[in-house]
Amino acid sequence: MHPEVVLNSFGYLTQAAGVTVALSLAGIALGFAIGSLACIARLSRKPWAKCLGGAYVSIFRGVPLLVQLLFIYYFLAKIGFDVPALVAAIGGLSLASGAYQSEILRGALNAVPRGQSEAAVALGYAPADIWRRVLLPQALRISTPPLINEFILLLKASSLVSVVGIAELTRVSMNIASLTYRPLEAYVAAGLFYLAINLCLSGLGALAERRLAVGGKA
Amino acid sequence: MNPEILWGYAPSLISGFGVTILCWGAGAALGLAIGFALALAYETSFAPLRWVLRIFIEVFRGTPFLVQLFLLYAGGPYVGLRLSATAAGILGLGLYSSAYFAEIFRGGLASVPRGQIEAAMSVGMTPLATMSRVRVPVALIAAVPPIVNTLIVMSKETVVLSIITVPELMYQMQTMAAETFTAFDAIFAMAVFYWLLVEAVSRIGRRFENHATAYLASPI
Amino acid sequence: MTEATIEIRGVGKSFGPNRVLRGVDLDVGRSQVVCLIGPSGSGKSTLLRCVNFLESYDEGEIRIEGELIGYETTKEGRRTPMRAQRLREMRREIGMVFQQFNLWPHMSALANVAEPLKRVRGLGSDEAEERSMAMLKRVGLAEKATAYPSSLSGGQQQRVAIARALAMQPRLMLFDEPTSALDPELVGEVLEVMRSLAAEGMTMLIVTHEMGFAAHVADSIAFIDGGRIVEHGPPRKVFHESQEPRVRQFLQTYHDRNAF
Repeated sequence: MHPEVVLNSFGYLTQAAGVTVALSLAGIALGFAIGSLACIARLSRKPWAKCLGGAYVSIFRGVPLLVQLLFIYYFLAKIGFDVPALVAAIGGLSLASGAYQSEILRGALNAVPRGQSEAAVALGYAPADIWRRVLLPQALRISTPPLINEFILLLKASSLVSVVGIAELTRVSMNIASLTYRPLEAYVAAGLFYLAINLCLSGLGALAERRLAVGGKA
Repeated sequence: MNPEILWGYAPSLISGFGVTILCWGAGAALGLAIGFALALAYETSFAPLRWVLRIFIEVFRGTPFLVQLFLLYAGGPYVGLRLSATAAGILGLGLYSSAYFAEIFRGGLASVPRGQIEAAMSVGMTPLATMSRVRVPVALIAAVPPIVNTLIVMSKETVVLSIITVPELMYQMQTMAAETFTAFDAIFAMAVFYWLLVEAVSRIGRRFENHATAYLASPI
Repeated sequence: MTEATIEIRGVGKSFGPNRVLRGVDLDVGRSQVVCLIGPSGSGKSTLLRCVNFLESYDEGEIRIEGELIGYETTKEGRRTPMRAQRLREMRREIGMVFQQFNLWPHMSALANVAEPLKRVRGLGSDEAEERSMAMLKRVGLAEKATAYPSSLSGGQQQRVAIARALAMQPRLMLFDEPTSALDPELVGEVLEVMRSLAAEGMTMLIVTHEMGFAAHVADSIAFIDGGRIVEHGPPRKVFHESQEPRVRQFLQTYHDRNAF
C-alpha cells in the first residue's frame, strides 16, 4: 500500500466529496418537491392525476438509475438543449429520488390512523386545517427516518453520475487511479469518504428518530 | 429506432441479456449464501467476531456499488486477485448484496418467538433440527418480502456492471449505439426494456411472496 | 319540551348491497340521555356517526335542533349535499367521543384540548389554555396537562378526549362505545365523568355495552338489531319487561357472560 498517493491528493478528494454531498442535497431537496407533488397526485380523486402519479413512480423506480441518467443526458442533447452535464445529473437524481420519496410520504400519510382526522372532522375542522395541524406534523415525523435513509441511498447512487463526467467523488478517484496507477489506494480512499459521510447521516437519522419520538408513539 | 439495426445486433443483444441473467442469478445465489452464513455467524457470543461482521456489513452497505466494483476489478490484481470482468461483476454483486441479505436473515432469525424454539427443545429436537425445521422456516416468513425486494433492486444494479465492461445487455446496447450512432434510440429502448423487466419481476415476486406466506392469512 | 335536540326520521343507509340502517326513527330531547344497545354489526355505531354526518345516510332525515344535517333542500324540493362550511359549523355544536380516543399523539393533553379552541373557535392562546385547563380539572386530569397521550392510560386518554369535546361547549354529545377499548379496571373513571355530565343536563346519545351504566343513567334505551330499532323505552321496560325475543336473547348472553 502506498498511502502517500492518497495523501497527496487529499484536498482534491475532499473537494470532490463536497461535490458529491452538494449533488445529493440538491437531488434530495428537488426530489422532495417532486415527490410531494407525485404523492398529492396519487392521493387525488381525479383519475388522470392518480394515473399520472402512478406511472411516474412506476417508471422512475423501475428503470435503473444509470439508464435514466443516460436517457436524460441524450434526450436533452437530442432535442437540442445544450445544458451542462451537471443539470442532467441533478435532474436525473431528483427525478429518481422523487419517485421513492413519493412512496415514503404516501406510506407516512397512510400510517396516520384514520380516527385522528375523524376526530378533527367531528370538531368542525376545515380540510386545510386537518392537513396542517393533524396529518402533516405526524406524517413528517413518521417519514423523517426513511427520508434520511433515502438520502444515504441517493448519496451512494450519485456515484453513477461519474459516467457523464462530473468531478464528484467516484470520478475523481477514477482519475487518481489512472494517473497514479494505484487504483487500490484511490478506491479505498473514496470508499472511506463515502463511509464517513454516511456514518454522519445515519447518526443524524438516529438522533432525529429519538427527538421525534418525544411524546408521539407515532 | 431502425428495426434493421436491432435485428443485425440481435445475437449480441441476446447474449448480453444472457450475461445479465447469469450475473443476476449467480450474484444473488452468492449473496444469499454469504448473507445467511454471516447471519448465523452473528449469533456468536464472541464479541470481536460480531464487530468484524458489523464492519463488513456497514462497509458494503455504506459505499456505492460502483466503487466496490472498481476496487475489486481494478484494485484486485494488486493484491493477487485477477478476475475477468464478468467474474468480478458476479463476485461484486454477491458481496454487495450479502450485506443486505445478512441483515434480512438476522432480523428474520431474531423475529422467531422464543417460545417456538423452546417448544422444539422441549420435544427433544437437536440444535440442528431446531434450526432447520423451526427457526429457519419461521424466520423466512419475515424474510421473504425484503429478500424479494432486494432481488428486484439487484436486477437494476446489473446495469452498473457495464461500466467495468461486463458484456451484459447494457454494455452490448451501448456498443451498438456507438457503432451505429443511435445513442438516444438505444437508451430509450433500454429504458422501456428494463421497465418492463422490473415490472414483470416485481409482479412475479409479489405473487411468490403471497404464495410463500399464504398460510399466515389463514385464521389461527 | 318544544322540540327534540336530535330528531331521526326514517333514516336508511346501505354499504353497497348491505343495508345497515332501515327506517330508523328516534328522538333525543333536551337534557335527555339515550343509550343505543344491540349486538355488534347491528348498525348502532353507524347510526351515531350519521348524527354528525361522519357517515352519510341515504334516506330519511336527521335534524339537530330543527336543522337538517348533511343535506340542503333546494327550492324545487331536491336534496343536495350541504355546504361544507355550514356542515363544519353544525359539527362544532356536536361533541363526539370515539372508541379509540383519537387523541393527536404529537400534542400534549392540554394542547389536544386547546388546539380546536384556537383553530376552530378562534380563541386566543391564553384564553384557550385557561379553558382547557379548567376542562382537564373537571375530568380530574389537571396534573397530566403536559403529558403526551402515549404516556397516559387508556382511561386517562379517554377523559382527555371528553375534555376536548366538552371544551367546545357543544349542545349535545355523542359517545361511540367510549369504554370498549379500555381495561375493565379503567372503565369506571370514564363512566363517572359521563355520569356527572348527565347530571348537569348534557344531552347525550351513547352507544355502549355497559348495561349497568345504561340502566342507571339513561332516560331511554333503544335496542337496535339488523338496522332497525326493535325496542325503545325507559330502561325498566327494555331490560325487564321486553317481550321481544331478540332483546331477551341479547340480555341473556350478556348476563351469562358476566355471571361467575
